[in-house]
Amino acid sequence: MDQSEIDALMKNAPAAAAKAKKGAPAPAPAPAAPAPVVADDKGHVISELDAVTAVTERETNKVMDQLDVISGLVGRQQALITGLLAHPSAQDAAVQQAINEVMAAGKDIQDKVYEAMDLMQFQDITRQKLERIVHHLRQIHDYIVDLLGTGLKSEGERASISRTIATTGTTPDEKKGHADSVVEEFKRLQGKD
Amino acid sequence: MKILIVDDSSTMRRIIINTLSRIGYTDVVEGEHGKAGLDKLAQGGVEMIITDWNMPEMDGLEFVQTVRGQNPSIPILMVTTNAAKEDIVQALQAGVNNYVVKPFTPETLKEKIESLLG
Repeated sequence: MDQSEIDALMKNAPAAAAKAKKGAPAPAPAPAAPAPVVADDKGHVISELDAVTAVTERETNKVMDQLDVISGLVGRQQALITGLLAHPSAQDAAVQQAINEVMAAGKDIQDKVYEAMDLMQFQDITRQKLERIVHHLRQIHDYIVDLLGTGLKSEGERASISRTIATTGTTPDEKKGHADSVVEEFKRLQGKD
Repeated sequence: MKILIVDDSSTMRRIIINTLSRIGYTDVVEGEHGKAGLDKLAQGGVEMIITDWNMPEMDGLEFVQTVRGQNPSIPILMVTTNAAKEDIVQALQAGVNNYVVKPFTPETLKEKIESLLG
Protein backbone atom coordinates (compact mmCIF):
# COMPACT_ATOMS: atom_id res chain seq x y z
CA MET A 1 0.00 0.00 0.00
CA ASP A 2 1.50 3.35 -0.95
CA GLN A 3 1.29 6.63 0.97
CA SER A 4 -1.62 8.04 -1.06
CA GLU A 5 -3.72 4.95 -0.28
CA ILE A 6 -2.81 5.14 3.42
CA ASP A 7 -3.75 8.83 3.38
CA ALA A 8 -7.09 8.01 1.74
CA LEU A 9 -7.85 5.42 4.42
CA MET A 10 -6.78 7.74 7.23
CA LYS A 11 -9.02 10.51 5.87
CA ASN A 12 -12.08 8.68 7.12
CA ALA A 13 -10.66 7.73 10.50
CA PRO A 14 -11.75 9.67 13.61
CA ALA A 15 -9.42 12.63 13.94
CA ALA A 16 -9.01 12.31 17.68
CA ALA A 17 -5.40 13.32 17.56
CA ALA A 18 -6.31 16.62 15.91
CA LYS A 19 -8.42 17.55 18.90
CA ALA A 20 -5.44 17.57 21.26
CA LYS A 21 -4.75 21.07 22.49
CA LYS A 22 -1.56 22.71 21.37
CA GLY A 23 0.97 23.13 24.15
CA ALA A 24 -0.92 20.94 26.62
CA PRO A 25 1.07 18.10 28.14
CA ALA A 26 0.51 14.94 26.20
CA PRO A 27 -1.85 12.63 28.09
CA ALA A 28 -0.90 9.01 28.58
CA PRO A 29 -2.08 7.11 25.52
CA ALA A 30 -5.36 5.35 26.18
CA PRO A 31 -5.96 1.95 24.65
CA ALA A 32 -7.34 2.53 21.17
CA ALA A 33 -10.99 1.59 20.81
CA PRO A 34 -11.76 -0.28 17.60
CA ALA A 35 -13.23 2.01 14.95
CA PRO A 36 -16.86 1.19 14.20
CA VAL A 37 -17.24 -0.70 10.96
CA VAL A 38 -20.27 0.42 9.00
CA ALA A 39 -21.17 -0.77 5.55
CA ASP A 40 -22.83 2.31 4.05
CA ASP A 41 -24.99 2.27 0.93
CA LYS A 42 -21.93 2.61 -1.29
CA GLY A 43 -20.41 -0.56 0.08
CA HIS A 44 -17.50 1.41 1.55
CA VAL A 45 -16.14 -1.47 3.64
CA ILE A 46 -16.42 -3.84 0.67
CA SER A 47 -14.55 -1.37 -1.52
CA GLU A 48 -11.78 -1.12 1.06
CA LEU A 49 -11.42 -4.89 1.24
CA ASP A 50 -11.34 -5.04 -2.55
CA ALA A 51 -8.66 -2.37 -2.50
CA VAL A 52 -6.63 -4.39 0.00
CA THR A 53 -6.73 -7.47 -2.24
CA ALA A 54 -5.81 -5.42 -5.31
CA VAL A 55 -2.93 -3.70 -3.53
CA THR A 56 -1.53 -6.92 -2.05
CA GLU A 57 -1.67 -8.60 -5.47
CA ARG A 58 0.12 -5.65 -7.06
CA GLU A 59 2.76 -5.52 -4.31
CA THR A 60 3.26 -9.29 -4.41
CA ASN A 61 3.91 -9.00 -8.13
CA LYS A 62 6.52 -6.32 -7.39
CA VAL A 63 8.26 -8.75 -5.03
CA MET A 64 8.04 -11.39 -7.77
CA ASP A 65 9.62 -8.89 -10.20
CA GLN A 66 12.54 -8.37 -7.83
CA LEU A 67 12.94 -12.12 -7.35
CA ASP A 68 12.98 -12.50 -11.15
CA VAL A 69 15.75 -9.88 -11.31
CA ILE A 70 17.77 -11.69 -8.62
CA SER A 71 17.23 -14.97 -10.45
CA GLY A 72 18.47 -13.39 -13.70
CA LEU A 73 21.54 -11.95 -11.97
CA VAL A 74 22.40 -15.31 -10.42
CA GLY A 75 22.00 -16.94 -13.82
CA ARG A 76 24.34 -14.38 -15.37
CA GLN A 77 26.85 -14.89 -12.57
CA GLN A 78 26.73 -18.67 -13.08
CA ALA A 79 27.37 -18.21 -16.82
CA LEU A 80 30.37 -15.97 -16.11
CA ILE A 81 31.80 -18.44 -13.60
CA THR A 82 31.32 -21.31 -16.06
CA GLY A 83 33.38 -19.32 -18.55
CA LEU A 84 36.02 -18.78 -15.88
CA LEU A 85 36.35 -22.54 -15.32
CA ALA A 86 37.68 -22.93 -18.87
CA HIS A 87 40.18 -20.07 -18.57
CA PRO A 88 43.86 -21.24 -18.78
CA SER A 89 44.78 -19.42 -15.59
CA ALA A 90 42.03 -21.21 -13.65
CA GLN A 91 43.21 -24.77 -14.23
CA ASP A 92 44.86 -25.16 -10.84
CA ALA A 93 42.96 -27.75 -8.77
CA ALA A 94 42.52 -25.40 -5.82
CA VAL A 95 41.15 -22.64 -8.07
CA GLN A 96 38.79 -25.09 -9.78
CA GLN A 97 37.53 -26.25 -6.39
CA ALA A 98 36.97 -22.67 -5.26
CA ILE A 99 35.08 -21.86 -8.47
CA ASN A 100 32.92 -24.96 -8.05
CA GLU A 101 32.10 -23.90 -4.50
CA VAL A 102 31.05 -20.48 -5.76
CA MET A 103 28.86 -22.22 -8.39
CA ALA A 104 27.25 -24.38 -5.69
CA ALA A 105 26.57 -21.31 -3.55
CA GLY A 106 24.97 -19.63 -6.58
CA LYS A 107 22.70 -22.64 -7.09
CA ASP A 108 21.68 -22.45 -3.42
CA ILE A 109 20.72 -18.80 -3.92
CA GLN A 110 18.72 -19.71 -7.03
CA ASP A 111 16.87 -22.45 -5.13
CA LYS A 112 16.02 -20.03 -2.32
CA VAL A 113 14.74 -17.48 -4.85
CA TYR A 114 12.44 -20.14 -6.36
CA GLU A 115 11.32 -21.14 -2.86
CA ALA A 116 10.47 -17.50 -2.06
CA MET A 117 8.47 -17.26 -5.32
CA ASP A 118 6.50 -20.39 -4.42
CA LEU A 119 5.71 -18.95 -0.99
CA MET A 120 3.97 -16.01 -2.68
CA GLN A 121 0.95 -18.33 -2.98
CA PHE A 122 -0.03 -16.86 0.39
CA GLN A 123 -1.35 -13.82 -1.51
CA ASP A 124 -3.91 -15.87 -3.43
CA ILE A 125 -4.98 -17.76 -0.30
CA THR A 126 -5.39 -14.49 1.65
CA ARG A 127 -7.26 -12.90 -1.26
CA GLN A 128 -9.74 -15.78 -1.31
CA LYS A 129 -10.26 -15.53 2.44
CA LEU A 130 -11.02 -11.83 2.03
CA GLU A 131 -13.35 -12.66 -0.89
CA ARG A 132 -15.29 -14.86 1.48
CA ILE A 133 -15.58 -12.03 4.03
CA VAL A 134 -16.67 -9.65 1.25
CA HIS A 135 -19.29 -12.18 0.15
CA HIS A 136 -20.79 -12.29 3.65
CA LEU A 137 -20.68 -8.49 3.98
CA ARG A 138 -22.50 -8.14 0.66
CA GLN A 139 -25.17 -10.57 1.82
CA ILE A 140 -25.69 -8.54 5.01
CA HIS A 141 -25.65 -5.29 3.03
CA ASP A 142 -28.22 -6.51 0.50
CA TYR A 143 -30.41 -7.92 3.27
CA ILE A 144 -30.49 -4.52 4.97
CA VAL A 145 -31.25 -2.80 1.67
CA ASP A 146 -34.14 -5.24 1.09
CA LEU A 147 -35.39 -4.74 4.64
CA LEU A 148 -35.36 -0.95 4.51
CA GLY A 149 -36.32 -0.71 0.86
CA THR A 150 -33.64 1.89 0.28
CA GLY A 151 -30.09 2.24 -0.87
CA LEU A 152 -28.22 0.42 -3.58
CA LYS A 153 -27.84 -3.28 -4.07
CA SER A 154 -24.35 -4.71 -4.47
CA GLU A 155 -23.34 -4.87 -8.07
CA GLY A 156 -20.59 -6.28 -10.18
CA GLU A 157 -19.29 -9.62 -11.31
CA ARG A 158 -17.19 -11.32 -8.67
CA ALA A 159 -15.28 -14.54 -8.41
CA SER A 160 -17.17 -17.53 -7.12
CA ILE A 161 -16.06 -18.16 -3.57
CA SER A 162 -14.73 -21.25 -1.95
CA ARG A 163 -17.10 -22.87 0.52
CA THR A 164 -14.19 -24.46 2.28
CA ILE A 165 -11.52 -21.80 2.52
CA ALA A 166 -11.41 -22.16 6.31
CA THR A 167 -10.13 -25.70 5.89
CA THR A 168 -7.61 -24.85 3.19
CA GLY A 169 -4.06 -25.53 4.27
CA THR A 170 -1.57 -22.76 4.89
CA THR A 171 1.52 -24.90 4.47
CA PRO A 172 2.38 -26.11 0.96
CA ASP A 173 1.01 -29.59 0.28
CA GLU A 174 -0.81 -29.73 3.63
CA LYS A 175 -3.86 -31.15 1.83
CA LYS A 176 -2.03 -33.22 -0.78
CA GLY A 177 -2.57 -36.59 0.91
CA HIS A 178 -6.26 -35.86 1.38
CA ALA A 179 -6.78 -34.75 -2.24
CA ASP A 180 -4.79 -37.68 -3.62
CA SER A 181 -6.81 -40.21 -1.62
CA VAL A 182 -10.12 -38.71 -2.82
CA VAL A 183 -8.91 -38.76 -6.45
CA GLU A 184 -7.71 -42.36 -6.12
CA GLU A 185 -10.96 -43.47 -4.51
CA PHE A 186 -13.02 -41.73 -7.21
CA LYS A 187 -11.00 -43.28 -10.02
CA ARG A 188 -11.18 -46.70 -8.42
CA LEU A 189 -14.96 -46.43 -8.13
CA GLN A 190 -15.22 -45.19 -11.70
CA GLY A 191 -12.96 -47.99 -12.90
CA LYS A 192 -10.73 -45.46 -14.63
CA ASP A 193 -7.41 -46.69 -13.25
CA MET B 1 3.82 -28.93 -25.33
CA LYS B 2 1.57 -25.89 -25.00
CA ILE B 3 -0.10 -25.55 -21.60
CA LEU B 4 -3.07 -23.28 -20.84
CA ILE B 5 -3.18 -21.76 -17.34
CA VAL B 6 -6.52 -20.33 -16.21
CA ASP B 7 -6.46 -18.42 -12.91
CA ASP B 8 -7.76 -14.98 -11.93
CA SER B 9 -4.72 -14.34 -9.72
CA SER B 10 -1.83 -12.95 -11.72
CA THR B 11 0.49 -13.94 -8.87
CA MET B 12 -0.65 -17.53 -9.03
CA ARG B 13 -0.29 -17.62 -12.82
CA ARG B 14 3.30 -16.39 -12.45
CA ILE B 15 4.05 -19.02 -9.80
CA ILE B 16 2.67 -21.79 -12.01
CA ILE B 17 4.50 -20.49 -15.09
CA ASN B 18 7.70 -20.30 -13.07
CA THR B 19 7.31 -23.85 -11.83
CA LEU B 20 6.53 -25.10 -15.33
CA SER B 21 9.63 -23.43 -16.78
CA ARG B 22 11.78 -25.08 -14.11
CA ILE B 23 10.54 -28.50 -15.19
CA GLY B 24 10.94 -27.79 -18.87
CA TYR B 25 7.56 -26.47 -20.02
CA THR B 26 7.96 -22.97 -21.41
CA ASP B 27 5.18 -22.81 -24.01
CA VAL B 28 2.36 -21.36 -21.93
CA VAL B 29 -0.79 -19.36 -22.61
CA GLU B 30 -2.87 -17.66 -19.91
CA GLY B 31 -6.48 -16.77 -19.20
CA GLU B 32 -7.82 -14.85 -16.18
CA HIS B 33 -11.16 -16.69 -16.08
CA GLY B 34 -13.04 -19.50 -17.80
CA LYS B 35 -14.28 -17.41 -20.73
CA ALA B 36 -10.76 -16.16 -21.47
CA GLY B 37 -9.58 -19.75 -21.17
CA LEU B 38 -12.10 -20.88 -23.80
CA ASP B 39 -10.90 -18.09 -26.12
CA LYS B 40 -7.29 -19.24 -25.75
CA LEU B 41 -8.31 -22.83 -26.27
CA ALA B 42 -10.14 -21.90 -29.47
CA GLN B 43 -6.89 -20.49 -30.86
CA GLY B 44 -5.57 -24.05 -30.96
CA GLY B 45 -2.43 -25.92 -30.03
CA VAL B 46 -3.17 -26.36 -26.31
CA GLU B 47 -2.30 -29.87 -25.12
CA MET B 48 -2.95 -29.54 -21.41
CA ILE B 49 -4.97 -27.28 -19.08
CA ILE B 50 -4.24 -26.15 -15.52
CA THR B 51 -7.23 -24.31 -14.06
CA ASP B 52 -8.34 -22.64 -10.85
CA TRP B 53 -11.90 -23.07 -9.57
CA ASN B 54 -12.99 -19.76 -8.04
CA MET B 55 -12.94 -17.10 -10.74
CA PRO B 56 -15.25 -14.33 -12.01
CA GLU B 57 -17.10 -14.45 -15.36
CA MET B 58 -16.90 -18.24 -15.65
CA ASP B 59 -15.63 -20.40 -12.80
CA GLY B 60 -13.37 -23.39 -13.19
CA LEU B 61 -16.11 -25.98 -12.86
CA GLU B 62 -18.19 -24.49 -15.68
CA PHE B 63 -15.02 -24.05 -17.73
CA VAL B 64 -14.12 -27.73 -17.32
CA GLN B 65 -17.65 -28.84 -18.20
CA THR B 66 -17.59 -26.66 -21.33
CA VAL B 67 -14.16 -27.93 -22.37
CA ARG B 68 -15.23 -31.53 -21.85
CA GLY B 69 -18.21 -30.92 -24.15
CA GLN B 70 -15.75 -30.00 -26.89
CA ASN B 71 -12.73 -32.12 -26.04
CA PRO B 72 -13.11 -35.29 -23.98
CA SER B 73 -9.43 -36.19 -23.94
CA ILE B 74 -7.34 -33.10 -23.16
CA PRO B 75 -5.67 -33.50 -19.73
CA ILE B 76 -7.06 -31.06 -17.14
CA LEU B 77 -5.48 -30.40 -13.74
CA MET B 78 -7.46 -28.33 -11.24
CA VAL B 79 -5.39 -26.24 -8.81
CA THR B 80 -7.59 -24.60 -6.18
CA THR B 81 -8.11 -23.70 -2.53
CA ASN B 82 -11.25 -25.86 -2.43
CA ALA B 83 -10.18 -28.74 -0.24
CA ALA B 84 -13.41 -30.50 0.79
CA LYS B 85 -14.00 -34.05 -0.40
CA GLU B 86 -17.31 -33.09 -2.04
CA ASP B 87 -15.54 -30.34 -4.01
CA ILE B 88 -12.87 -32.73 -5.26
CA VAL B 89 -15.50 -35.29 -6.27
CA GLN B 90 -17.56 -32.59 -8.02
CA ALA B 91 -14.50 -31.50 -10.02
CA LEU B 92 -13.68 -35.08 -10.97
CA GLN B 93 -17.27 -35.63 -12.06
CA ALA B 94 -17.06 -32.47 -14.17
CA GLY B 95 -14.08 -33.98 -15.96
CA VAL B 96 -10.80 -32.96 -14.33
CA ASN B 97 -8.12 -35.64 -14.46
CA ASN B 98 -6.36 -34.68 -11.26
CA TYR B 99 -6.54 -32.20 -8.42
CA VAL B 100 -4.07 -30.07 -6.46
CA VAL B 101 -4.97 -28.05 -3.36
CA LYS B 102 -3.27 -24.67 -2.90
CA PRO B 103 -0.76 -23.97 -1.53
CA PHE B 104 1.32 -26.60 -3.31
CA THR B 105 4.99 -27.39 -3.77
CA PRO B 106 6.64 -27.42 -7.22
CA GLU B 107 7.30 -31.13 -6.72
CA THR B 108 3.56 -31.80 -6.46
CA LEU B 109 2.79 -29.83 -9.62
CA LYS B 110 5.55 -31.66 -11.44
CA GLU B 111 4.31 -35.04 -10.20
CA LYS B 112 0.73 -34.32 -11.30
CA ILE B 113 1.70 -32.97 -14.72
CA GLU B 114 3.99 -35.89 -15.43
CA SER B 115 1.34 -38.40 -14.34
CA LEU B 116 -1.20 -36.74 -16.65
CA LEU B 117 1.18 -36.70 -19.58
CA GLY B 118 2.72 -40.08 -18.66
